[in-house]
Amino acid sequence: MSSKRREFLKGIAAAGGLAALPGLAHSADGVTVLPGTRGKKTRDPVTGNAPGPEFVIDLKSGKLTPNPNQQVSFTMCLGCYTMCGVRVRTEKASGRVLRVAGNPYHPLSADPHLPYETPLAAAFTSLTRYGESGLSGRSTACGRGNAMLEQVTSPYRVLTPLKRVGPRNAGKWVPISFEQLLEEVVEGGNLFGEGHVDGLRAIHDLKTPLDPANPEYGPKANQLAVFNAVGDGRDGIIKRFTFDAFGTRNYGAHGSYCGLAMRVGSGAVMGDFAKNAHGKPDFSNCEFAIFIGSSPGNSGNPFKRQGRLVATARTAGKLEYVVIDPTLNNSSNAAVADRDRWIPITPGSDGAFAMAMIRWIIENQRYDAKFLSQPGPKAAEAAGEANWCNATHLVVVQEGHPQEGHFLRAADIGLAPAKDAAEALYVVIDGATGKPRSHLEPAAAALFYDGAVDTPNGPVKVKTSLQLLKEQAFRHTLDEYSGACGIPLETIQRLAREFTSHGKKAAVDAHGGMMASNGFYNAFAVLTLNTLIGNYNWKGGMSPGGGTFPSVAAGPRYNLVDFPGKVKPQGVFLCRSRFPYEKTSEFNRRKAAGENPYPAKAPWYPFSPPLLTEYFTSHFNGYPYKLKAIVSFMANPIYGHAGLKRAIHDKLKDPRELPLFVAVDAFINETSAYADYIVPDSVMYESWGWAKPWNGYLTKASTARWPVIEPAQAKTADGQSITMELFLIEVAKKLKLPGFGANAIAAADGSLHPLDRPEDFYLRAAANVAFAGKPVPDANDEEVALAGVTRIMPDVRKVLKPEEVRKVAYVYSRGGRFENASDAYQGERLKNGYKKPLCIYNETVGTARNSMTGRRYSGTASYMPTVFADGTPVEKVYPKSEWPFLLTPFKSSLQNSFSIGALRLRQVRPDNPVGINSADAARIGIHSGDKVRITTPGGSLVAVAQVLDGIAPGAVSIEHGYGHTELGARAHDIGGQPQPASGNGVGVNLNDLGLSDPRREGLSTLGDWAIGSAVRTALPARVEKV
Amino acid sequence: MTTTRREFLKNIGTVTMGAVTAAATGPLQAATPDGFPPKRGGDPRHRWAMVVDMRRCIACQACTVSCSVENQAPLHQFRTIVSQYQVKDLDRPEQPVALVDLPRLCNHCDSPPCIMACPVRPQRATYQQKDGIVLVNNEMCLGCGACAYACPYGARFVNSETHTADKCTLCVHRIKAGLLPACVESCVGGARVFGDLRDPKSEVRKLLARYKVKVLQPEKHTRPNVYYIGMDVKFEHNTDRINKRG
Repeated sequence: MSSKRREFLKGIAAAGGLAALPGLAHSADGVTVLPGTRGKKTRDPVTGNAPGPEFVIDLKSGKLTPNPNQQVSFTMCLGCYTMCGVRVRTEKASGRVLRVAGNPYHPLSADPHLPYETPLAAAFTSLTRYGESGLSGRSTACGRGNAMLEQVTSPYRVLTPLKRVGPRNAGKWVPISFEQLLEEVVEGGNLFGEGHVDGLRAIHDLKTPLDPANPEYGPKANQLAVFNAVGDGRDGIIKRFTFDAFGTRNYGAHGSYCGLAMRVGSGAVMGDFAKNAHGKPDFSNCEFAIFIGSSPGNSGNPFKRQGRLVATARTAGKLEYVVIDPTLNNSSNAAVADRDRWIPITPGSDGAFAMAMIRWIIENQRYDAKFLSQPGPKAAEAAGEANWCNATHLVVVQEGHPQEGHFLRAADIGLAPAKDAAEALYVVIDGATGKPRSHLEPAAAALFYDGAVDTPNGPVKVKTSLQLLKEQAFRHTLDEYSGACGIPLETIQRLAREFTSHGKKAAVDAHGGMMASNGFYNAFAVLTLNTLIGNYNWKGGMSPGGGTFPSVAAGPRYNLVDFPGKVKPQGVFLCRSRFPYEKTSEFNRRKAAGENPYPAKAPWYPFSPPLLTEYFTSHFNGYPYKLKAIVSFMANPIYGHAGLKRAIHDKLKDPRELPLFVAVDAFINETSAYADYIVPDSVMYESWGWAKPWNGYLTKASTARWPVIEPAQAKTADGQSITMELFLIEVAKKLKLPGFGANAIAAADGSLHPLDRPEDFYLRAAANVAFAGKPVPDANDEEVALAGVTRIMPDVRKVLKPEEVRKVAYVYSRGGRFENASDAYQGERLKNGYKKPLCIYNETVGTARNSMTGRRYSGTASYMPTVFADGTPVEKVYPKSEWPFLLTPFKSSLQNSFSIGALRLRQVRPDNPVGINSADAARIGIHSGDKVRITTPGGSLVAVAQVLDGIAPGAVSIEHGYGHTELGARAHDIGGQPQPASGNGVGVNLNDLGLSDPRREGLSTLGDWAIGSAVRTALPARVEKV
Repeated sequence: MTTTRREFLKNIGTVTMGAVTAAATGPLQAATPDGFPPKRGGDPRHRWAMVVDMRRCIACQACTVSCSVENQAPLHQFRTIVSQYQVKDLDRPEQPVALVDLPRLCNHCDSPPCIMACPVRPQRATYQQKDGIVLVNNEMCLGCGACAYACPYGARFVNSETHTADKCTLCVHRIKAGLLPACVESCVGGARVFGDLRDPKSEVRKLLARYKVKVLQPEKHTRPNVYYIGMDVKFEHNTDRINKRG
């Protein structure tokens, strides 16, 4: 508003209103004021620029009349990686997206979601005022999901292939043709006038070892690394290219700088390091929940569904809960203060809290003894349990014994033939006889045992898993744990009593808030609490998720994962994951030379999945080897991985250090800004894919991601939109890789089909979904039109067999395929439960050694402080006297890592001031609105302070999602045209304060001691007023 | 006041909830209160209102953004928001602070002071429909801002693009089509319940019958039609504005 108008307004106030003035025109401040808008005229004088409604509903008959100028279709949101099913409302003539809300068939957007067989018109009607059905039937998009349509028309979109001009990261680009892009990336050459660069063809060598001295590193093809942001429904084709066609081992996604500490901690508890399975509470029937490093309603995955469920459960259900977090967040709601409580905790000390709980529960025998004492599936079934665990299994604890750390096997004591020594036949102490026997017998076993068992080779010292956990828990007193986590002892005792007072209708939930350097063991400890009450697979307990229908799979119609010539990648991941240091040639050489093989040059991570957190630094350090090229998709570790930018900026911008970097990204983010080439891509509602919810849902779901609008980026000469998929397909075809081009996809009937276009892949995945189990019905013409599926029908008909066409149309018309909500439970049990046993003791962990110390990891949950890679406590190197604060980040309820440019979102919270506890602020003289300098050993930045009571003492809280230097924050020059200036750089990014590890050689970032995930929690810091 | 929309008030004491109730059944009469200009347009068989169940709000701001997208208000001008406050219970100081999430929108009052402030004659630019919705005709509006000033809730602003008064319409264009307001459709926690006070079977009537609700600033005698479940009595008198003055 102009100052002129403001003065005018004040004048009115002084005059006490203008009611006495004559009606149609008057004069003030010498300006004649006429009625009516003097600015831009609106579409309607009363409703402004709101578009016409998408439907008109007759409230008497329920008859729905679609607006002929608009289309509502169900596809997927990518406002964050929850990937909700949404309804996208577009203006037909312009293709403009008008607004986005939820898909009522989709469990992540509605609760309960509509039965799948509901006719489409009835589904639309259910969202309206007809019978007030739209109130309980509402299907929503969150704040971000409402705003992300701005991505489609953003002025910062990359619309054509770009090649850098001048040095890397200079912000200058020239548009090139798709053909030139392919030629240069595949064939290489003197691409930038800086000397020869190997193209992908030269790197694609599956025969020659990349390092003959260390043959376990695999072939030269491993010198290509492919990075993906996250599985967003499009990763199937990326993995097909990377692993199965090109044959490199090196693929990494964002997990290691997202929530990996929780995931691997959960993988340890759930006995699944292949997928790192995790669970979520059944919110609707849970009576007491502890959220720690997790905040339903504020963040987490699924963000929106958990928010809806917790809101309902605390209002209409029985749920009471506490949120244990250094920062008070949106999980708390004072209007239900009798149902939820915030409990502040010292950052990075979740393990102390959990081990205190475990100790109290064991001391007071408040665990579910009936569940824990069932040693196997038959015993569990006989006892009426829905799962079982290894609490009673005997672990060899005899020092120096070849089986030390392993479970005693039935074959070891002659209960099974010697040939079964490696089989999963475990030994327990029978609960009745006190004698050792197999875990498979249908009877309870002893929970605690510390003694010896006779074997043909003499007695062996063993302990039960639960005994080992008890010993770990009893290493510290409750007072010591309380002191370490800052939670009063009485509170811990009250929570432990409450947690063990609801049978199986209680749960502990953790998520991405566990990313401290002790995060793995913190998560292991926190999630072990669930095992102690045996709550998995029960109504009101823990659920592993509802599962999905096969899509990019060896499905009922097409095999989209196997093909002739499929490559099995060989060798060690560059990030040293899933491979024990003890199996390397290096280890053996050092041992043979009489050296102590420990410490390794850098940590190896025997039970971690591939770690994007270690790829870059490992490459630049050349250990275990170096890359020649990186291809990345939307990945943004430079923004998202704490400490990485400072560690590698100088190297990454130097083409001699990394010869080729190709990014596929619709936007130039902090990482793709360093690329040599950027490939444009479809965004949001323009793209194909098949996604599934991560967790927090109980019934099978497959989300159809399909283009409900025309992609905005450039097309090839033959009219195909340039996308990630097309880029991979064309590169693969140029290199004559298997699995792409003609005859690449086999149908169930043996016929072979091409993979030349994205549609060839995703529509066949849709056929798998449609035909899984009992096939879906055929869609009729009316529903095809009503859902806007008409748009893709020419492709559906072209790609698929006649009998598949209408079933696939049915699936797309509903935005995917979803099991009905009524199928969630079978009596008191979850229908889709977790099938594997749970681990009190994880044998993989308990037999692995830390490559820096040579010492074995604890196979049970255990408490440890925050440490560096060699086990030195962080506080020893950076003492509290010099670094009195601990940083604690939190995930924004509004911003994700790439949403900052959505202006209708950013207007809601235009900045991210950092939170400081009131007492701390008073002590150092800081007030809300002051500028403060926050310094860690890894960096320094200036931020605005917000002084709050809702921050743990000694913690400084920073909201993620702000502090961008790209995504529009810097105006790039594209073919001589500067991008427009923007305010997208607002706020600060905690990751700019990340640490390197002073106990490691070469370039490093601070990682979790056991699993190498990024560390962004509990970073030591100083705060000063500027 | 901070520079962000996330406005924090501290040290607001809490007392027992539900001690004071708003006149929940008051607005059911259709007549125009004394001194108010005649209502125009709308169907007198309805009286639209909203009940906000604050227990269900997760402050996700889906309402704020969906309103902004649907109604295309200029950036940084809000027809609805969710204000947040950190509160401490002074009677129970051992308890940690908690968050109050307060969804805000035009109250579509039965005695709307904004209408009285409108200088335009003979028909006023801002008016109330017979179904209770308070609207602005921007072709009649002078853009003087008197109504925005008169509203004790700050629910109005002078639209920076049209230079005329702007406010929540309850998505009247959607209601007319049998649809729900954008904010209600997108309310993730299910806190916003929209409906007809003249329909005894409506969800809003059921909620008003079941819960002791409150309205904002009852002492201003505006007789609001946005009712809150779970609002602390101290918040009744909260004078924070959705849009700042001027």
